[in-house]
Amino acid sequence: MGNLTHVTINFKTSHLIFPTIIACVLGVLLVAIVIRDRKRIAASGAYWRDTWGAMDKPRFLGALALTLVYFSLMVPVGNIWPNTGLGFLLCSIPYVLATGILFMHERTPRAILPLLIVALVGPTFVWWLFTYPLFLTLP
Amino acid sequence: MFEIITPLFLSLIVGGTLVGIIFGAIPGMTATMAVAVCLPLTYSLGLDNGLALLLGLYVGGISGGLVPAILLGIPGTPSSITTTFDGYPMAKRGEGEKALKIGVVASLAGGLISLLVLDLFAPTLADFAIEFSYVEKFLIIFFALTVMAALSSDMLLGVFSGVLGIFVSLIGVYDISKGGNGEMRLVPPGLGYWLENGFSLLPVLIGLFGLAAILEQAEIGVPKGHSTKDIKVGAHSRFSFNVFRGQSFNLLRSGLIGTFVGILPGVGGSAASIISYTNAKTFSKTPERFGKGEPAGIMASEAGNNGLTGGALVPLLSLGIPGDSTTALLIGAFTLQGIQVGPLFIGNNPGTWDAMIIAMLIANIAMFVLMYFAIRYFALVVTIPKHILFPVILMMCVIGAYTINYGIMFDVWTLLIFGILGWLFTKIRLEVAPFIIGFILGPSAEVYFVKSLESFGTWTIFFTKSWIAIVLWVLIVGSIAGSILMARQKRRMEDHG
Amino acid sequence: MKFTRRSFLAASSAAAVIAAPLGARAANLPRNMRMVIGSKSTGGDTYQTSAMVADALSKKLGINIKVDAVGASDAFKTLARDKRGTTIMIFHDQSYLGYLYGVTGYDNIFADYAIGPTVAINPGNAYLVPASSPYKTMDDILKAAADGTRIRVAIQPGGVSEIGFSAMKNAAKVRAPGSEDNIVAVNTGSQSDKNQAMWDNLADVINGSIQANEQFTQLDSSDPKAMRFVWLTARPETLEQAPEAGMGGTDRAKMLSFASPETSVTLDGSKDFTFDKEFFFLFNKDMDPEISKAIDTTLGEIYASGEIEERQKAAFFIPNYLPQDQALKHLEDKRDTYAKVIDDISSKS
Repeated sequence: MGNLTHVTINFKTSHLIFPTIIACVLGVLLVAIVIRDRKRIAASGAYWRDTWGAMDKPRFLGALALTLVYFSLMVPVGNIWPNTGLGFLLCSIPYVLATGILFMHERTPRAILPLLIVALVGPTFVWWLFTYPLFLTLP
Repeated sequence: MFEIITPLFLSLIVGGTLVGIIFGAIPGMTATMAVAVCLPLTYSLGLDNGLALLLGLYVGGISGGLVPAILLGIPGTPSSITTTFDGYPMAKRGEGEKALKIGVVASLAGGLISLLVLDLFAPTLADFAIEFSYVEKFLIIFFALTVMAALSSDMLLGVFSGVLGIFVSLIGVYDISKGGNGEMRLVPPGLGYWLENGFSLLPVLIGLFGLAAILEQAEIGVPKGHSTKDIKVGAHSRFSFNVFRGQSFNLLRSGLIGTFVGILPGVGGSAASIISYTNAKTFSKTPERFGKGEPAGIMASEAGNNGLTGGALVPLLSLGIPGDSTTALLIGAFTLQGIQVGPLFIGNNPGTWDAMIIAMLIANIAMFVLMYFAIRYFALVVTIPKHILFPVILMMCVIGAYTINYGIMFDVWTLLIFGILGWLFTKIRLEVAPFIIGFILGPSAEVYFVKSLESFGTWTIFFTKSWIAIVLWVLIVGSIAGSILMARQKRRMEDHG
Repeated sequence: MKFTRRSFLAASSAAAVIAAPLGARAANLPRNMRMVIGSKSTGGDTYQTSAMVADALSKKLGINIKVDAVGASDAFKTLARDKRGTTIMIFHDQSYLGYLYGVTGYDNIFADYAIGPTVAINPGNAYLVPASSPYKTMDDILKAAADGTRIRVAIQPGGVSEIGFSAMKNAAKVRAPGSEDNIVAVNTGSQSDKNQAMWDNLADVINGSIQANEQFTQLDSSDPKAMRFVWLTARPETLEQAPEAGMGGTDRAKMLSFASPETSVTLDGSKDFTFDKEFFFLFNKDMDPEISKAIDTTLGEIYASGEIEERQKAAFFIPNYLPQDQALKHLEDKRDTYAKVIDDISSKS
């Protein structure tokens, strides 16, 4: 009886115990979902076509692309002036502006002006706040 | 003992609380960060005044998180995740102001309850807390995990999402500083350089809740109008203290649970509100309303996370062991001044002890006054046009992700990865709430589970360790049974109507 | 009110970035430096030491130095990426012990980085037993191991917390070969886990520190939380520099009684094993040597003036400036000693 419940854990391999258990549970649940929702999964091709068709592609993909460019440029730009946070500042201003214009519906100068102000003041204020009073590192 | 209350002392608390609220209210900036950046100031301020500032920041930071949680559905801090579950649905119904006020009042109640407990029972409770070995801590985490089932609209998919959250949280090394062996697992070949330490909680959180929500909006073309549908703050649902009728037990219980979770070293801050939310739902007469805009859910979450503030100070001041990541920083404030924290702290430093209790009391009151009367201004955030609000939120998310671990670019990429994942989740009907709960609790669940077996060498230990374990099992079974019953009821109702 | 580095910087404006102080230009130093540290905690000893040093250096050199608690593996990665000398690192003995114990994320620092000057010692590394323990001294523990009793020691594996445990095993082996197998590790994490392991009766001895555990040694022995020091690993000459009053109820004389030579854990039968947790600089290998030289020279001046020593002592650190060349030699010797200990106990003979 005692032997049935007894376990010895080898510390060297103990990092695998819990992930294995969780992976098994996850697998069982996945099988259950596949069995229960097989019809829906079979129809997923049409579902994704509909999603793709209904999507506002310029805004969705544009936002993703801008974010990707923003993240990729921050560090290289920051490396020109090491440890000053200027990479963040110089990338955030165009990013906020471009994303804002992308999300905007009537792109009139009147509507862009407040956005432009926010795009200039927002990142600059945050940059100042983090660089001086908070003294934290930015890219 | 009142000679410590100088104008400087008072203004540091109130100023600290205000700055803390702002830190808490900005997604990606946390109470821990507020305390960390102000820690060096305490060197010049002296111990009592320095602590006044830090405690104000702590109380404010924990409380401020409810604002974006309710208004934008983005938790400002990890401990306000459960506030989004009911707060955001209320805001979408146009009850944003009401939800905020409920949250603020519940925060005050939780804060005061835990302060009372701290003042009266600190050393006794610390002695009780050390009765909790790996086994009991695992069962507490297990209990908190059972809320996954109850939270999901489709139980199978919800539980799957939660277990997936646990799985993802295990990526990287089995953390040595938590008792692991430092070996990597679940890392795809070639990604070890990046994934050695896995994904950090905060970028994952703001990715799933912040970036994903904005991507969803972008997908539907960022429709004009305000970010919360039909919001007329306060117009068609006024707040009155009547909502608290019949909820005093909920507030008390949630405050006490938050306090107790804070006392248990290592269980972690975010667990406090999850556990009190689980409890409130388990014992509620109308559990089906949770997650759809139930005021009692906000109360449980906010009373729970503010309950943490007093609780986390108990082990710090009576064992020298921090109860959460923020109080871990307070140790630094003490050692900088050459003050030892440990079992003799309260007896050796009665003046500092009094100053801390008074500072906490004033901080809680200041938090309440500042937030209660600032609510109408907070609510203005939802009147900002989305094409201005969203880019700024995105930028703040980047800042939060980058600074949370003091400048790691991978955390910013994590934000993007989980933003896309969060968007994908809603497409394939996986659920974000159970996922993030699994992600938060996964690492603790692992360590306590494996260490229980490693130390005691038998599976039966989970049932035979102590009476505390038995009580926890009763709660776990109750919570699971409750969720199953609820799901059945729901199905029956759907069949009939 | 004293001016701290942060409040000073808060007051100064953005102009400071653009207009560099002349002194900095003269030494060809980057005006904005980043100091990464091997700890993720901004409340811990590594951060405190680093902040004091960064503070003094930035004042003296007229440059900005930000201390970032990114943790060991990210600190190494960040330092390795920056060849320009705008990133520097402070860490302690964990940096090479992690490599000796084969922990993920640690490489051979002596090969991959340039070792800079040492700055301070945390003398607190300690081993404790419950107040009710039958073992009064390290001698009792090693004797018990030799007599075949299993001694469980709670440590955090893979570094500073394990090295004393390895030394115990080594001493047991020297005294009675084979008895080292009776000294077994209980692998735990933080200090709170180690304490808890003692209170749960899962460990007979725990690793701890003077700072975190001293008050537990002052509790009444009827209190189940009460502990006793059995060993402080610091060198006696390090502890002699500690404040005479010591810490809490344990004065310096008492501390010395728990350290070599009064408490002996032998290294090879003649010499005692000692371990000081020393904080030191790490630089990128390809960094301009002018920069490291400027830092080294400035540190020498800072320590000569004595102000930083007061701050360090107030926070229970032992000032310990060794110029770069001496530091390298000293740390290499230290590494060789510990490598041998670890090697001896892991090779079955």
